[in-house]
Amino acid sequence: MTRSARWPRWFLVWLGMGSVALAVLLVLFRGGFASAGQTTDAPASAQAPASMSDDECLSCHSDPDASMSLPSGETISLYSDPAVFRRSVHGDKLNCADCHVRNQTVPHPSLNVVTARDFHRAEYELCKRCHFENYTRTLDSMHFDVVAAGNAYAPVCTDCHTAHSVMRLADSHVQIAKTCSKCHGAIYDDYVQSVHGSALQSEGNPDVPVCTTCHGVHNIQSATTAAFRLASVDMCAKCHASKKLMDKYGISSNVLKTYLDDFHGKTTGFYQEQSSEVWPETPVCFDCHGVHNITRVDDPNSPVMKENLLPTCRRCHADATANFPSAWLSHYEPSVKKAPIVFFVREYYRFLIPIMIVGLIMHISLDLWRLARNR
Amino acid sequence: MAEIATRSRSRRAALVQREFVRFSVSQRLEHLMTMVCFAALLATGLPQKFSDASVSIWLVNSLGGIDNVRFIHRIFATVFIFSAFYHVGAIGLSITRGKFNPSMAPSLRDFVDALVMLRYSVGLSNSKPRFGRYDYRQKFEYWGIVYGGIIMIVTGLTLWFPTYVTRILPGEVVPAAKEMHTGEALLALLVIVTWHMYSVILSPSHFPGDWSIFTGKISHEKIKEEHPLEYVALVGGALEELEEAPDQVQTPTAVAASAGDGEPERAAESTGDEPSKG
Repeated sequence: MTRSARWPRWFLVWLGMGSVALAVLLVLFRGGFASAGQTTDAPASAQAPASMSDDECLSCHSDPDASMSLPSGETISLYSDPAVFRRSVHGDKLNCADCHVRNQTVPHPSLNVVTARDFHRAEYELCKRCHFENYTRTLDSMHFDVVAAGNAYAPVCTDCHTAHSVMRLADSHVQIAKTCSKCHGAIYDDYVQSVHGSALQSEGNPDVPVCTTCHGVHNIQSATTAAFRLASVDMCAKCHASKKLMDKYGISSNVLKTYLDDFHGKTTGFYQEQSSEVWPETPVCFDCHGVHNITRVDDPNSPVMKENLLPTCRRCHADATANFPSAWLSHYEPSVKKAPIVFFVREYYRFLIPIMIVGLIMHISLDLWRLARNR
Repeated sequence: MAEIATRSRSRRAALVQREFVRFSVSQRLEHLMTMVCFAALLATGLPQKFSDASVSIWLVNSLGGIDNVRFIHRIFATVFIFSAFYHVGAIGLSITRGKFNPSMAPSLRDFVDALVMLRYSVGLSNSKPRFGRYDYRQKFEYWGIVYGGIIMIVTGLTLWFPTYVTRILPGEVVPAAKEMHTGEALLALLVIVTWHMYSVILSPSHFPGDWSIFTGKISHEKIKEEHPLEYVALVGGALEELEEAPDQVQTPTAVAASAGDGEPERAAESTGDEPSKG
């Protein structure tokens, strides 16, 4: 080996070491810039009164009797249990002043509120500093529509999540239902009796829907619109057309298909494709099966139980008589056992149509063949 | 046409040059009505059968939604039902007036004709069956429409008024009626598209179309070729004369066409292609 043959290897070694060194330098520089940025920020935040410590807050607010009276004559408690807050989802992340930014001076700036509700509706705005996305979703919700219509008691963040003992609601289906029940008590009572609600209550079944499964979470829409009605079919189908999930409970997963194949379902299907919003008179799942009080189909109280079906049909078909309900095949595909007439009619055409058409085409072909030979 | 049949043999030569009246105004209107109803019912019915197809959704939305589509479907269904009653009524009236000609009645001869036609088509025989006013294929189509029409009307009314039907019949007849309505409709569509379109438009014997049902007229070449028995009945004379008849009445084109193989049937057939009617 000569020196001249060896130098490219040396060159590579230097190149490698050089680039590593450059990389290290770059990383150090970036770190330096970043820390430089932080240090320039630090005086700014130090100037702000954000440094007010929890201890300072709690020197007043740990008194269980601390309260404030409002012009409306209402008195609201100013007590906050630090232990409860520390157990909350924010407990290890936030301090008082992180949310209550405007109260970092003592005495606190005066409030421009009349009632306790005014106060809560003013304070909940604090959440959006971090949870802006969910905050904007609530602006699209029907709860906000109710607010816009002048009802101050429609829920805001803190009504569902509480102010200080915030827990992750999504972790507990039971807790979700309970949260909604604070206002929607009658519906909750129906729900806990239902096949879904009772499974949630008794066994904490994670498969059953809770309020938010069907109604959504922050951008909850009105359930009395044509759009909700039409979308409800697919909403139920999300679980009820899932073979995996339905097999678990021995329920047919064919319910959506059989519905859509029938007169009612086809109509719904076309309504879904229509651009103008018309009120679909055609029945959707919950018209027959019930809404919050939905039961097992073999429950004696089920509106779709054979004995109870006629009154259910009569809600739309007022002049229906005893034979009428069996016009609906109860989500069954026609078979020899179930709906044999329908089955055989279907089979008849399945055979007749091809035979007829092949026969006619053969006749045409023979005719053409003869004409061709004559030529 | 009855009056034509009574004409004397001496006027035959003049008569055969003319076109024959095949369908009355009433019959032509009936066909037109059936045609319009058929098209409209298919246009509003098939999208319901094939509801997943994007063209169905487009059509339904273009017509202003499924409720409109069903409304239109029922309007044309009503028109169709009335035209069916009109047809039966017209037959009844012609029977009471003693003018009824049971030319559509199926007979044993039709089955024989079908077999003879089959032998001719496959080349076992060189003579075509001689047909009367309606050949077996036309009778098959007519009775197919009668049978299919009854099914469509009965099952359609069942679907339209399910609560009335189930007062007497079991509920299962309603989905069975739906299955039958949709099956028969598809069958009718396919038969019309393949068979009727071939018979009256695409067949080389008729291309670009046999318009008798619209004009009401049929040329003498055509009636002699396709309905020789009716021709004989109309103009009088014996069936055997038909063999020579083409020479007497053929137009120059027909003569030219037949010069090649000298087969009278063939020759007449080619003249039949000519759209001789206005």
